[in-house]
Amino acid sequence: MGSSTSPIIDLQDVSFRYPGAAEDTLRNVNLQIEAGDFTTVVGGNGSAKTTLCKTFNGLVPHYWSGDFSGVARVCGIDTFTSSVAELSSRVGYVYQDFMNQLVRPTVRDEVSFGPVNFGLADHAERTAEALEMLRITELSDRFVWQLSGGQAHLTALASVLAMRPEIVVVDEPVAELDPARALEIYQRLELLNREFGLTVVSIEHHAEFIAQFASSVVLMSQGSQVWHLPVDEAVYRSAELEDHGIPAPQIVQAAQRLGLQDTPRTVDSAVTALGAAAPAVPTSSTTTPPDGEQNGSRPSPGPESSGPAAHREETPVAAVQSVSHGYKTVKNDLRMVLHDVDLEVRRGDRLALLGSNGSGKTTLLKLLAGISVPRSGEVVVDGVSTRSRSAGRLADHVAYIWQQPQQMFLKESIRGDVRLFPAGRGEKNVDSLVEDILHQVRLAEFADADGRTLSGGQQRRATLAIGLAMRPSVLLLDEPTASLDIASRDSVIAMLEQLSGSIACSVVATHDMTLVSEWANRVIVLDAGRIAADLSPRELFDQPELLRRAHLVPPQITQLGQQIGMSPAPLTVDEFVQRFRQEQPLGGDLVETERS
Amino acid sequence: MARRQRDVVSVEWVKLELIRAAYATRGGLFSRMDPRMVLLWYVIMAAAPWLTHNITVLAGLFALGAVSVALARVGPLLLLLFIVGLGLETIYILAVALLFGGNAETAVALLELTLKLGAVSTASMAAFVSLDPEKLSDALLSLRAPALLAFAVSYGYRMLPILVEEFNTVFDNYRIRSAPPARHGFLGIRTLVHWVKMAVLSFYPIFLNTAQSVRTTVESLETRGFTYATVDQRGRDIRLGYLKVTALDICVVATTAVLVLLAYLAGDQWPLMRRDFMSG
Repeated sequence: MGSSTSPIIDLQDVSFRYPGAAEDTLRNVNLQIEAGDFTTVVGGNGSAKTTLCKTFNGLVPHYWSGDFSGVARVCGIDTFTSSVAELSSRVGYVYQDFMNQLVRPTVRDEVSFGPVNFGLADHAERTAEALEMLRITELSDRFVWQLSGGQAHLTALASVLAMRPEIVVVDEPVAELDPARALEIYQRLELLNREFGLTVVSIEHHAEFIAQFASSVVLMSQGSQVWHLPVDEAVYRSAELEDHGIPAPQIVQAAQRLGLQDTPRTVDSAVTALGAAAPAVPTSSTTTPPDGEQNGSRPSPGPESSGPAAHREETPVAAVQSVSHGYKTVKNDLRMVLHDVDLEVRRGDRLALLGSNGSGKTTLLKLLAGISVPRSGEVVVDGVSTRSRSAGRLADHVAYIWQQPQQMFLKESIRGDVRLFPAGRGEKNVDSLVEDILHQVRLAEFADADGRTLSGGQQRRATLAIGLAMRPSVLLLDEPTASLDIASRDSVIAMLEQLSGSIACSVVATHDMTLVSEWANRVIVLDAGRIAADLSPRELFDQPELLRRAHLVPPQITQLGQQIGMSPAPLTVDEFVQRFRQEQPLGGDLVETERS
Repeated sequence: MARRQRDVVSVEWVKLELIRAAYATRGGLFSRMDPRMVLLWYVIMAAAPWLTHNITVLAGLFALGAVSVALARVGPLLLLLFIVGLGLETIYILAVALLFGGNAETAVALLELTLKLGAVSTASMAAFVSLDPEKLSDALLSLRAPALLAFAVSYGYRMLPILVEEFNTVFDNYRIRSAPPARHGFLGIRTLVHWVKMAVLSFYPIFLNTAQSVRTTVESLETRGFTYATVDQRGRDIRLGYLKVTALDICVVATTAVLVLLAYLAGDQWPLMRRDFMSG
């Protein structure tokens, strides 16, 4: 990327080796980022994206003092002869685990921490300004442990903005946030970039965010830079990106399969591109919806029917009967989380529990697991009321998988963790059961490792193994795909798919719409502690109002289908392409001459 | 016995009580004072009992401590712990006195110590319930304590609710996945042992998880000038700018000093010493 002005970040032949490591983590990186750019750093696990970004604010090599060679200039300063303190006023860094970055009790303290430490007389104005820039002034007096994930991330961002940096580095914001909130973070970053000329560097796995917001993309592989390209060119190299663990956005996949030359970066531009090519897509709902089998779910239901209704006579595996529940707050008020909820979960249900943060998903799961009992109402699992047994005894019927895998690792090895339950209940053949399960989740080779040392995807599979070893009728999972990169997420979804044979029914609380469209056969939407809808995934995506209320973003391909008038909306790229072709008068691919 | 949702004597309750104690959400007299003056007040109250063996004085100081606890609106959890502690102490004193062939004098000597500890404990509760960690940390900083200690106080409190939450989760995991004892045992002793064992074991995963997450915290502190502030004075001046001694502070400390003095005078007037209990 040639330019006459000198770049704001300029790395020349930078290599770095962590103290005690056998080989270099960064290898001869040459990277130039222009001021005012919105750059995304992509690459598979272990490609040193985070280490690269830590060279910008001097953490490498000043805090991590390993072997550093080459020259890194940031804002014209040679980082090697500078210090973390000096560079920090120019480069802000928001961590992937941003919760650990918050060190002060209240939001205002947190944001003013940097300016006060550096003794800046205008610390109060800076704090107010940073809070205002992100529109979180009303959170000022909250305690940091009261914040939701999205609010905590904005607070972390505000705390670095208060230093009025020229560059902000954001490490995988999507990892710990739900998609709607991640989108919001990106929109605010875009605003800062456009209006204040802030240079933004983000580390990202999700191609749809890259395509929509970045202006250039850096691909890293094994510590070296593969290329640095403007986003249009980068997105077009979808095969190469896919090799590095970044599957192309669904709209790009669809456009390429349909033979479009341009690569659309947003759903809107895809609509325009397709619209120009195919002005007359039928909008009536009389079009036969395709068979649902391509996405692994049952045949798609009509507008009236809903799958679970077919089994209505059968006794439910789990039942929630007019349950209300709530917690005491610090001020000693009772805050109700669930209001008079009725729900029956039947054999074969693959139920996705949706809703924004605080809508009561986790509470409902914990009530189903018998970890707590409701203030009023009854929860019955396998015919047993949760009031009549201790949580330990209920574990024979129902297994609950926590959202944070490391909180489930009690023993020094994965094998020990999987063994704990069956061995304690005096099951026969515990050893072979444990080995079978470890094979099933493909963790046999890591059986003796401590769960904490595994990668994110492996940790999830390990917790699945722990749940399976309990041999429950009902499996409950809290956000099983959160904070996973796309490859690991797909493997967890595939695993859930396989497991459905050995479990009567599963309930998954999630924000992940890919999980919903590819795995679930029933969806419950919780809104402010009440069940707002009970329907099939396909029906869900046809209700934009409901989605908005629950802070859900449908998959891109579903949005695209809706916007060009497909009803019911498609759930997968395959389905979209197939139906798009059917609905074309000529039934073929778009011909190039149709584009002007 | 059917299970029910409990709002007291549960892990959740302990967590809320800790937060309430730490952040002085109940208000109270001392929470309106300058934190340095609260520390001064505390020094007076905590030192006074150690300068005498006169039980009259100690009783007066204990009463003063009890009044402070009421004024500071100390929460039920701390009070419960205090009373249980004091009760156990009393039983222990009697047991020791009897078992080791002691007599009334031994018991009285130990009682005197209990009274001292009680007076100090009540003052401690009143002071620290009223100082939220930020104020305490600023007071320490202003009194030239090391910056790291001042920060550790405030950071420790920020982590507290999170650690209790984490403990709750890990403990739930043990509760669900480890086998409960087949029989409860005499007076449920087996179950009790099982629970204590789980509670202790729960710390192992928490330590490991915390060790992992603290790395980010330390880096973040570095980037946001924490080390810089320990060298550069300006940050300290800004942080402590709001501290101001008011009439209320002087009034409370003066009143306390007078009352302590009165307790000593009363002790002088009507002394009650250990030897008075000696037989014969």
